[in-house]
Amino acid sequence: MKFNIAVAGNPNCGKTTIFNALTGAKQRVGNWPGVTVEKKSGHYNYSDTKFDVIDLPGTYSLAAFSAEETVVRQYLENDEANVVVNIIDASNLERNLFLTTQLIELGKPLVIVLNMMDMAREKGLQIDADTLATLLGAPVVPVVGRTGEGIDLLKEKILRVSTEISLKARFIDISYPRDIESEIEKLHLLIQVNDVTDKHSRWTSIKLLEADKQTRDEVRTHNNGADILNQAKVSIDRIEGIFKDTGRAIISHARYGFIQGALRECVVESLVDSVDYSRQIDRVLTNRWLGLPIFGLFMWLMFKATYDLGSIPMDWIDTGLVAFMNFISGLLPESMFASLLVDGVIGGVGAIAVFLPNIFILFFIIALLEDSGYMARVAFIMDRIMHNISLHGKAFIPMIMGFGCNVPAIMGTRILESRRDRILTVLINPFMSCSARLPVYVLVAGAFFPDNAATVIFSLYVLGILAAIGSGKLFSKTILRGMSKPFVLELPPYQRPTLRSLFLHTWERGYLFIQKMGTVILVGSVIIWVLGYFPTEVELDRDYVSERATLTEDYDSQLTDLESKFKSSVEKDRQEYHSEMIAYESSSSYLELDQQFQLLQEALSSERSMELYSLRQQEIGDITEQKWIGRVGKIFEPIVRPLGFTWRESVALITGFVAKEIVVSTYGVLFGVGEDVDEGNQGVISGLRSSGMTPLVALSFLVFTLLYTPCLATVAAIKRETGTWAYTFFSIGYSLALAYTLAFAVTYFGGLFNWLS
Amino acid sequence: MFNFKRPRHKLHISDENDLRLSDLKPGEKGRIIEVGGSESFRLRLIEMGLTRDAEISVDKYAPLRDPMELIVKGYHLSLRGMDAQKIAVKRIN
Repeated sequence: MKFNIAVAGNPNCGKTTIFNALTGAKQRVGNWPGVTVEKKSGHYNYSDTKFDVIDLPGTYSLAAFSAEETVVRQYLENDEANVVVNIIDASNLERNLFLTTQLIELGKPLVIVLNMMDMAREKGLQIDADTLATLLGAPVVPVVGRTGEGIDLLKEKILRVSTEISLKARFIDISYPRDIESEIEKLHLLIQVNDVTDKHSRWTSIKLLEADKQTRDEVRTHNNGADILNQAKVSIDRIEGIFKDTGRAIISHARYGFIQGALRECVVESLVDSVDYSRQIDRVLTNRWLGLPIFGLFMWLMFKATYDLGSIPMDWIDTGLVAFMNFISGLLPESMFASLLVDGVIGGVGAIAVFLPNIFILFFIIALLEDSGYMARVAFIMDRIMHNISLHGKAFIPMIMGFGCNVPAIMGTRILESRRDRILTVLINPFMSCSARLPVYVLVAGAFFPDNAATVIFSLYVLGILAAIGSGKLFSKTILRGMSKPFVLELPPYQRPTLRSLFLHTWERGYLFIQKMGTVILVGSVIIWVLGYFPTEVELDRDYVSERATLTEDYDSQLTDLESKFKSSVEKDRQEYHSEMIAYESSSSYLELDQQFQLLQEALSSERSMELYSLRQQEIGDITEQKWIGRVGKIFEPIVRPLGFTWRESVALITGFVAKEIVVSTYGVLFGVGEDVDEGNQGVISGLRSSGMTPLVALSFLVFTLLYTPCLATVAAIKRETGTWAYTFFSIGYSLALAYTLAFAVTYFGGLFNWLS
Repeated sequence: MFNFKRPRHKLHISDENDLRLSDLKPGEKGRIIEVGGSESFRLRLIEMGLTRDAEISVDKYAPLRDPMELIVKGYHLSLRGMDAQKIAVKRIN
């Protein structure tokens, strides 16, 4: 035997806690088809019966205003679920029961869970669960989700409602005022006469009185649908005439009327001297003066923890990875396959795997902020600022996280409820300058603006913020217009999060990162590897083999020269040496000569290896120019020439698409200093300076680096969070266009006035 | 077939004790007369418990003066001042 259970309830009612308590860790996270609303499912066994559980998104109503509400309604209206478990925050009964009235009307077998009974007791609320059950016509189970109190009883009730026919039948209707009830009756009859297949005919009637669009579209397909809709129109006019309001508002008020009536019969509110802890905490955390500084402190701590704490395991992964790559390349003979595996696959995917600690720590902190209830306060505190770009206050968190890394930041946009807000935040996030761009700034600004490097870098960060704000304003007035929702936000009571749910949340999101980023990064890394590996045979202008031979010969002869000079001076010296007390080889004059010789010899051989290394790197640079990647750079050179860029910048920017910090190592290769350079490398700095790049072009290059197409991992995250390629390609195209325009503006106007040339 | 679209709901503020929710100061209480604004906004708020005659009090304003924190039906809700302007209340003590 197997039953489908759907868990429904308001946001912040502890729904996920109950879901976790029911299913344990056996959960799967996916998306509802067509929308980026998380779909969580799990299962459990109880007395030889299997229960598949779906955790529906938290909603206040089934009005289908939001993507979440639509998902819940569609799922409940089709007949997949055998039993609906409605979680209710017992300390906030009245508003929570609003959804319940709708669930009752949907007519599904229902089990009502009074969660957070402990908090209700603290508030001085005594709830008579049996009376409530009678009034609502469904079993009511009091539980405390956090401690697991009452969960076994809940499983028992779910089993009984699933299996016993008598408990499935629903006898209770939400009763409405007489004038409404008579109109419902008329519609109800008409629907039953015309379409016997409609199992929710009372629900349909009520929805028609609410002028619900979806229901009207469905009824239109019924037999005599037009008649029913005509009657609906007449009925709505009648009740609107009586109650002087719109049909839906009348029905909603009537639902609350029913709830208030029910609560009068089953809730006793004793005047206990309870302390509202949440309110006390908020006296500090959202205080007029302290609210912002404390939030700032929390943000700083989050940053610190994510990047500092994360850097420790990051080093381990890095070390492990290098060892692993060496181990594999030691195992395999040098071949194309070995290069693909080591440099392409392990190197490429590894470059992203290094970020895993950061991402997990960040998701853990976000889970902490969400589960504790502080996230709602963040929205409260920051809404005034984010409202400027017509965003919800919560959107601030992903924006600030973008300074660290855009990938977790974009995944963090899940905390936003409206899809439009999510997309807008995702699209402007890449302009927040992530930490991977910093090495590029340090290198280029250090090379061309040694005295003002800090100012230049700071200006780039500011430019990024301005680009984000400007684009946000632009998008909200054009492509994402009119989808904005009013700010209606519940500030739920603070809760002590359970470790288990924190880890579950962290893992769910982190796993998505591993899964999706892994595939895209893998493909991208292989592509870049292919571009850099082929063609395997290249023709070079210079004969490096003979140059190397000449160089070696040259130094060898210099070394031989040095040695013979030393020998002859020693001979000369020995003849002039007369003391018989000490052997010549121990004399001070010999030791002096010997030391001199050693120094010269060392200097010469280190000079030799330097020269050979430099020659080798020039060769690598030349080879790169001939590889596909260099040819691609050449192809794009005409496009970037108006910006003052050469094929080198073009290659650097293309490889920067994999990860922006790669720009630095690409320059290392191109200027023949080696791949293994950091932003302080003198070779690259002098290479850049002597390449003919002017400070103005350098500035333009920095602007371009800041704004252009986000890295591959970010693109993957954008695809994942917006769910469409359309927004992904838009984001790529838009940022390229913006980068090009602004970089061109820098080069062009700077050139006009002969700045920095 | 039918036009179910409705015009925006206009607020009727006549009594001098009647004011907009946005005019209440922290600590003050009111009784909701009606919620105006677009139909979807009104319905959302009614569904969240801002029903006619419901008691509502202003707990505080956010550090940057907007939005505001309200208490209605025993829970805390936050609205922007521009949205609170669309709600007519009668001040009570």
